[in-house]
Amino acid sequence: MDTVNCVNRGRGAMKKLSTIMLLPDGLQDTLPPDAEAEAQTTSRLLETFASFGYQRVAPPLAEFEGTFLEGPGAAVGAKTFRMVDPLSQEMLCVRPDITPQIARIAESCLSNLARPLRLSYAGHILRGSGTQLYPERQFSQVGVELIGDSSLAGDVEVILLAHEALSSLGVADISIDLTIPTLVPIICRDLGLGEIETSEVRRVLDRKDTGSLKEMDVPGRELFESLMLAAGPANTAIEKIGALNLPNEAGRHVALLEDLVNQLRAFAPSMALTVDPGEFRGVEYHTGVAFNVFSRGARGELCGGGRYCLYGGEKATGFTIYMESLQGVIPNDPEPSRIYIPFGGDAEKARQLRRKGWRTVAGLQSTDSERAEAVRLGCTHIFENGEPQLLDG
Amino acid sequence: MPQTESLVLAVPAGRILTQALPLLQRAGINPEPDFSTDNSRKLRFQTNVDGLNIVRVRSFDVATFVAFGGAQLGFVGADVLMEFDYPELYAPLDLGIGRCRLSIAEPKKMSADDDPSRWSHIRVATKYPRVTRAHFSARGVQAECIKLNGAMELAPALGMCQRIVDLVSSGKTLKANGLVEVEQIADITTRLIANRTALKTLSQELNTWIERFREAVNGS
Repeated sequence: MDTVNCVNRGRGAMKKLSTIMLLPDGLQDTLPPDAEAEAQTTSRLLETFASFGYQRVAPPLAEFEGTFLEGPGAAVGAKTFRMVDPLSQEMLCVRPDITPQIARIAESCLSNLARPLRLSYAGHILRGSGTQLYPERQFSQVGVELIGDSSLAGDVEVILLAHEALSSLGVADISIDLTIPTLVPIICRDLGLGEIETSEVRRVLDRKDTGSLKEMDVPGRELFESLMLAAGPANTAIEKIGALNLPNEAGRHVALLEDLVNQLRAFAPSMALTVDPGEFRGVEYHTGVAFNVFSRGARGELCGGGRYCLYGGEKATGFTIYMESLQGVIPNDPEPSRIYIPFGGDAEKARQLRRKGWRTVAGLQSTDSERAEAVRLGCTHIFENGEPQLLDG
Repeated sequence: MPQTESLVLAVPAGRILTQALPLLQRAGINPEPDFSTDNSRKLRFQTNVDGLNIVRVRSFDVATFVAFGGAQLGFVGADVLMEFDYPELYAPLDLGIGRCRLSIAEPKKMSADDDPSRWSHIRVATKYPRVTRAHFSARGVQAECIKLNGAMELAPALGMCQRIVDLVSSGKTLKANGLVEVEQIADITTRLIANRTALKTLSQELNTWIERFREAVNGS
């Protein structure tokens, strides 16, 4: 690492620049051109959401801890970045997720607005700790919530919206994985399994850990094995799960999933669709069908969403797009042309160029070689003899 | 042969490799000849299947290669899965090879009058600090782990600690170092693992391979 000595202004003491410039673990600067690319992606996503009638809300960065530990936020409680509010002496947390904030807004300030309520958001979140796979602690999330509706049409709308928003950014090989996080707990309950056994069965199914399942001594083990093996392309998966003839409530969940698959197929016949009945990813707040969107080449999912209940019982669904994962699979826009206007150039001409979409970089002093100066400042063109000239190389 | 687009299978170098080779062959995968010779410096090998490559890495690294998506499939011991617990890994098949156990061992002369129920704090040399801590904390014992990457058996003899947690298959290494197995933590076999994103986006291809390995295992 470069160590540059610099003067620490306050005391005039010498300090190593490299040590005072370090960032805490899991936090990083986003630099050009990535920062602009991310902002553009965010605004294009929000435009797509707006075109489907979703209205933007912007909750604050930090809230009382309680907001995140009740209702849909409970699942992220352990990962929060907490601090004491110097004003109220209450515990605050920097939002580890935005969905619980939207839920709070829908139930408080916007409780009188007509349902179904369509809201969108974009913002940063902070986690208390990273993992080996994702050491970052700050993430950017963009998403929507459809609140006050429990219809299948709502599920379809939200899933198709996620698909459309991502494909319109040029993401290739999109694949949507449908899950029913409630199915395994219902089957466990019907089989009379205790809390510890249930959570072990869920963990093993979530990880598709055939070896561990084989060693488990639980009623219905063959059923769980069949469920695990059913995961895969939607058509075959639905067939395999249907063949299990699950009774009562579990059966109704499966029927609902089948309906959903059929409707999605009708709207988007070519959409890659998989079903995984055992997956829940440790997320406890989903109350119906959930989904994750994957793309070949991305590490982890690009988007996750599904059905949940608000604190007061209102039904909702929605999704969050994980911008850090997404940014890696979006085709790069060509670098915009930057044109160097040598010192003392015509301001009006420069204005006209900007209006046409050029990005002008003004020289702040004359130099011996204006062309060399233009190259040094990363310009693609120079304004010479009254017009833009392409710089070589 | 099923056509696959550039898949990578990670297998552990060393002990498991000799047992893995017949399994690969039964699944219809024949690696290039260099693969089975120890003196090749190559790390990545072609196979008879178009677009399927095999990489040979350290057993602990198989899980990491697959979790980060460098490889889509891998052969890895259940011990490594327990230690890392990567959420991005699926373990859809028990390959039934590399059978051994993860155990606690201590010097023979100490085990005679040692009462494990009276432990409250112990020091353990191990390659598996996470599994070790979890195992002991479930019993209310605080385990201080000395992380070693090999030759754990030396640590008690050299006075670094009294106990070790390590893989035991025949027990010969323990015996040669004056140690005895006092408690078994888990039975270990080698598992087929898959990267989560790959299994979602290449569902058909990967499921076909998992099925072929399942047939290869059952046919043995």
